[in-house]
Amino acid sequence: MKKLAIGLYLLVTAALLAWAYNQAIYVAPNDAAQGEMFRIIYYHVPSFAVCFVFFSLSLIGSIAFLAFRHGNPGRAQAADALAVAAAEVGVVFCSVGLVTGPLWGRRAWGMWWTWDARLTTTLVLWLIYVSYLLLRRFAAGPQMQTLAAVLGIFGALDVPIVYMANRWWRTQHPAPVFGGDQSSGMDPTMVGALLWNMLAWLLWGLLILAFRYRVERRQQKIAAEEAEQALNS
Amino acid sequence: MKKLGTALIVVVAAGLFGWAAYLVFGAPPEPPFDWRLHMSQADHDAIVATLNHLYTRAAYTITWAIQLGYAAWLCVKWQSQQRKSTENRRAD
Repeated sequence: MKKLAIGLYLLVTAALLAWAYNQAIYVAPNDAAQGEMFRIIYYHVPSFAVCFVFFSLSLIGSIAFLAFRHGNPGRAQAADALAVAAAEVGVVFCSVGLVTGPLWGRRAWGMWWTWDARLTTTLVLWLIYVSYLLLRRFAAGPQMQTLAAVLGIFGALDVPIVYMANRWWRTQHPAPVFGGDQSSGMDPTMVGALLWNMLAWLLWGLLILAFRYRVERRQQKIAAEEAEQALNS
Repeated sequence: MKKLGTALIVVVAAGLFGWAAYLVFGAPPEPPFDWRLHMSQADHDAIVATLNHLYTRAAYTITWAIQLGYAAWLCVKWQSQQRKSTENRRAD
């Protein structure tokens, strides 16, 4: 039953990704000013939207770990696994956004990168979560999870700053397409393609998150088994 | 079977990375600032359209390369855990 559900989810995700790709490449019209290149938006924006969702999940996991770490170690370990899994998948999506953005910028602005507020805060966000993952990978000792949880909470504070950066400051990065001023907005066909891609990548991200979470839970189990063996020997 | 699937994802992801790099770094040079002295408007527009097409393809390709590369890494990690888990059980 479980295998059937996973298979069905995989099938729906694959179909949605194919459908969303079709919408982005063949259905949505070319942009009047930027032409075909504007289609990068259909992968660039959903990547950051999904990345923000996962960094928020990592924040929830980190807070839950700190809340449960003394009273309920079992739940704390599950929360910690969620925090690290969501942070890692979030970094993957953030990396996609940080690679597709310069490709777009090179054609639209004539440069790969500029140190404006939106781009810089996004790079800082990526660096914070990469340092979170490095801490998890290389630090040892009983305080590692607690330190990582605190860093995860601080990292998530950058998410609203990234989101608001091109509203608060003048940036080279374009003004927000949604929720901006009166001149913001898109053609309905373009909005449809963007929303389909957001949904498809969110489903893909959740699939990968579930897999990463299971890997982390199993890692915790193996570590506990090895610790027990070391005590018995 | 699972190992074959993982190897396939690794190969596809690596191929996509290479393809994306080829699309960007193998693209024709951009028209110079004084392009009006050297070419017609139609030629200029054709080069710009080609570059836009290549960069868009590269962005889509690199997205899939990163996502599949990460999925492949997770599969490899999963398999190594499985081996470790079996070894631990044998040690018991």
